[in-house]
Amino acid sequence: MSAAAGAGAGAPGSPLPTLLVVPTGIGCAVGGYAGDALPAARLLAAASGCLITHPNVMNGASLYWSDPRIHYVEGSSLDRFAAGELALRPVRRQRIGLLLDAGIEEELRWRHIQVADGCRATLGLEIGPVVITDEPLDVQLSLGASGVSWGELGRPEALLRAGRQLQAAGATAIAVVARFPDDPDSAALAAYRQGSGVDALAGAEAVISHLLSLELGLPCAHAPALGPLALDVQLDPRAAGEELGHTFLACVLVGLSRAPDLISTAASGSRGLACQPADLAIDAVGAIVAPAGALGGAAVLACAERRIPLIAVENPCLLSVTAAALDLEVIHAASYSEAAGLLLALREGISPLALQRPLASLRHGMNRSLPRP
Amino acid sequence: MRLVPLLLQLERRPGPLRPQILAALAAHGRPLRWAITAATADITSEAPPDSVAVTRLQIEAVVLA
Repeated sequence: MSAAAGAGAGAPGSPLPTLLVVPTGIGCAVGGYAGDALPAARLLAAASGCLITHPNVMNGASLYWSDPRIHYVEGSSLDRFAAGELALRPVRRQRIGLLLDAGIEEELRWRHIQVADGCRATLGLEIGPVVITDEPLDVQLSLGASGVSWGELGRPEALLRAGRQLQAAGATAIAVVARFPDDPDSAALAAYRQGSGVDALAGAEAVISHLLSLELGLPCAHAPALGPLALDVQLDPRAAGEELGHTFLACVLVGLSRAPDLISTAASGSRGLACQPADLAIDAVGAIVAPAGALGGAAVLACAERRIPLIAVENPCLLSVTAAALDLEVIHAASYSEAAGLLLALREGISPLALQRPLASLRHGMNRSLPRP
Repeated sequence: MRLVPLLLQLERRPGPLRPQILAALAAHGRPLRWAITAATADITSEAPPDSVAVTRLQIEAVVLA
């Protein structure tokens, strides 16, 4: 039995733990901007009763939504969860250490500390201590051959030193803020703000949080530190969440505040935490939802290996890595609204095939013909 | 420790995809972030007409080296 499913897990109508993946930095029409997959996540959480998803889905800079049915799990940890290497243990709260890049200018650093103070005072989050890296992290942005957003970190060891310092000081989760290069006049940024192209920052953000989470075994998430932008009256609503304040940190702190603990399923976990029967493990997951053109990620492929139902949602993006291209069996959904209906069907024990027309007869799958009466 | 960006081309073999990709990446370092970013069915012009297409995968990744 899993913590998320509770008593009666597996019974019709009981929560159906579901993974929602919207890969970052690939320009998804839904989820490629400032937390603009959050309405879809809320809907899928209501339909499934238990949703496991990652910061790119939930982070809207100054905007966020907290839902006890949604588990906020950093991308590489989510991949390892799908692979059966980690289980998730819900907690009442995390103690969030704040890791700031030494490359952040003093005024911008104060803005971030004040956001953290605001989250303590207004939302009651437990935040601290604050550690500044011993040298600038040197974040670089890049695009891959496919046009997908990637990035590198010049000084990964500095990130890890600061992370270990926070862990030793008692932090149970880490919010990291790195100084990202400003490029206010770039065509890519203009396109992003007007609702096209990819989030150029996303790839480097993912690399930072993946590295920290992988090495420390703690829930982690990242917010970029950037200088303010000039007003753009053509701003796309999907990008508007990032233009409301001085930082992108509030959503990260809220997400991490109730992020589940990461429990190694190996005999002795890296943090000495042993897996318990109440932890949520991949065995309890009843479905995964991903964009139909982005099925080539680690979590989707791991779930496919386990024959977990895969709902492929039409959500245009840069990639065309489809079920047909990878020979994967999927349930197609034209929208996240349809995906929510399919999750509800799975949750109630209704075969999604029974909802489709035409409905092929079983005689087509028989290993031999029967005589007609 | 260095973060190394990679672009790999992989010919798909029978069986689960993920272990094939992880094995290919392991030759370069510890995988940190990766995805299949293109998949194409490929039949060369010299192949017999009834040949089965080979799926070629493009993998973009960052590994720890």
